[in-house]
Amino acid sequence: MAGEKDGVNVIAAYRQLEARILAALRADLREEEFGALALEAHVFQKRWNTPYANFCATRPAAAHWREIPAVPQNIFKSARLSVAPPDLVTRTFRTSGTTGETRGEHHFIDTQLYDAAMLRGWDLLTARRADATILLVPADTDAPHSSLAHMLGVLARERSGGMACAAVGADGRLDGERARAALAEAFSRRQSVALLGTALAFLHLSEQLGEARLAVRPGSFALETGGYKGSGRDVPKTELYAGMSALFGLPPGDIFNEYGMTELSSQFYTRGLGGAHEGPPWLRAAVFDPETGGEVAVGETGVLRIFDLANLGSVLAVETQDLAVRREGGFELLGRDPAALPRGCSRAADERMRA
Amino acid sequence: MNTATRAAHLAAPAAGFPFLGRTTADELLALVRAELGHPEALDDFVPYAGHMAQAVAVKTILHVISGNTPAAGLQSVIRGLLLGAHNLCKVPSAGLPELAEFRAALPPELAARVELAGELPDAWLARAEAVIVFGHDATIAHFRALAQPGQRFIAHGHRLSFGVVFEDTAGASASLAARDASLFDQQGCLSPHVFYVAGDARAYAARLAEAMAAFQALEPRARVALAAANSIRTRREELAFRAAQGEPVALWASADSTAWTVAYDEAPGFPRSPLNRFVFVKPLPADFAAELREVRPHLSCAGLWPATLAHARQLAPLGVSRLCPLGQMQVPPWTWLQDGAPALTPLVHWIGAEELCE
Repeated sequence: MAGEKDGVNVIAAYRQLEARILAALRADLREEEFGALALEAHVFQKRWNTPYANFCATRPAAAHWREIPAVPQNIFKSARLSVAPPDLVTRTFRTSGTTGETRGEHHFIDTQLYDAAMLRGWDLLTARRADATILLVPADTDAPHSSLAHMLGVLARERSGGMACAAVGADGRLDGERARAALAEAFSRRQSVALLGTALAFLHLSEQLGEARLAVRPGSFALETGGYKGSGRDVPKTELYAGMSALFGLPPGDIFNEYGMTELSSQFYTRGLGGAHEGPPWLRAAVFDPETGGEVAVGETGVLRIFDLANLGSVLAVETQDLAVRREGGFELLGRDPAALPRGCSRAADERMRA
Repeated sequence: MNTATRAAHLAAPAAGFPFLGRTTADELLALVRAELGHPEALDDFVPYAGHMAQAVAVKTILHVISGNTPAAGLQSVIRGLLLGAHNLCKVPSAGLPELAEFRAALPPELAARVELAGELPDAWLARAEAVIVFGHDATIAHFRALAQPGQRFIAHGHRLSFGVVFEDTAGASASLAARDASLFDQQGCLSPHVFYVAGDARAYAARLAEAMAAFQALEPRARVALAAANSIRTRREELAFRAAQGEPVALWASADSTAWTVAYDEAPGFPRSPLNRFVFVKPLPADFAAELREVRPHLSCAGLWPATLAHARQLAPLGVSRLCPLGQMQVPPWTWLQDGAPALTPLVHWIGAEELCE
């Protein structure tokens, strides 16, 4: 256990690096500056995050940010990956999971760096604001352990009018009527709206509202995120966007997708259909070949490994289970292949059936 | 065409598919004899408990075949043909070329009794007197719900197998264990996920790793999909992470590839392999029943070393349905009791006849 002195030391070291990273959340962050800060943050994490330090001790020392040992996303479920002892943690986000499934935990000393990275990334990559927000996730007060509810709540407060109507209750149920009423009210007040939610929530909303058409004022936009995890649903993105376009009268160019995860602090975005995901300069993705661990060439498919400078309090390099095509300046997300799940005897027949 | 002729016509092309194991007309007739009491029971009245009986096979069988290994599906179709039935085979739409190749090698009269389709034709379910489904619980539930009253329904669900090394002073078993874990790239129900080892299990894991590497040099693993490769990589990294924390875990793995992996792990519970030649080694547990409790309903085969009757008796209560020596896990005899039940018996009905004279 960390003593009181350690607590003082880790906070001091964290604040010192945090200030420099906050100053680095810029569009013109250069590669060398990113690399130097990433290596410093890595040294800091090895000093204070003991399980991660143990892991790194078995790997060659990193001389370049790309060599920083990445932790598989799943490790957040089994190990406590934090630089801070529990008494210094003020916020913990948990991964979603089905009943009985172990959940990953991401601990934060506070969310100052998280919020700043999220907002500046949003401004850099989408540059959108609205007058009002309709949240298709629970309010963050109803879901204090959801990083998504937190993120979208902050976005609503800071970038779209501050007035958020959460159409999903603490029980996770979507109230389509509530969303419809909020949209109508914003329309009558001539307010543009930000519609923020999961892909599944948008799907449920269009199902609940049936043939209804909800007009929105110019400047409105939608942000969808996440897959259909655990829902048994799998709707192609073109279909989802067609449905959202029809429901709100939004062209696909006014619909954004966010790719992020509980285990990270920054987010990637793409706009409309067919585009690559891009992150802010303090968030880097490498697409690697799982056979060799080496990066694939542009145009080739591999697995995403992510380096997030804003993940200062845990580990800045995370290996996901998501497949992607490497593109110039970004990646095209393919998602987690169903075959990534443990296969048993005769799995293929099931895959056929679901297809 | 009588049973003996069908057996001969089936054995000839089966020889071209070594993964089926030893397949001769005698082996196939031995299966008929073992299950139906007489090799001609399907052809005529045969003696039955002091009187006579004849077995009549179902006319049409629907086989819903999975793509993980060709062996299980092909065996099922061969058994259907041996019975003289017509066989409707729903194969994975990604294909199962071995089945088409086998049909092409059959004489026309038998080939005409095998129909293959990637998508299930609407009429097939109604035509079948018996439905045999290989697949996951969801697949089985799907077809069970579709099956009609009176239709015979046989399900071969998700299965897990393992090996047990009680003693290996001569060091002979590691190459046999590697063979069992490598054949079919571990996709079969009979593929071991883990070897339980008495004595120095960690040292055994190191020997097994050498044997896995040697098998890979002789018979390289097939290329696997990116997601499958990544699930191996992820499991390796998770184990490496635990090993780095001082947990009793060790890892041996092919360099710069996911071709083979041996993981020594003392954590309790049956470890599920991500497959494609990824195998665990664990110390023989003091309470084997507790170790396997969670997976008991899914257990299939245990490979043993040395394969003695005493060891088989020790493992029999654990819930397995097949016990065999290491090295033989992937080549069950035709008379094996798949999932603990005979294969032909459920596909026939009987006509009994008493006090007959010529």
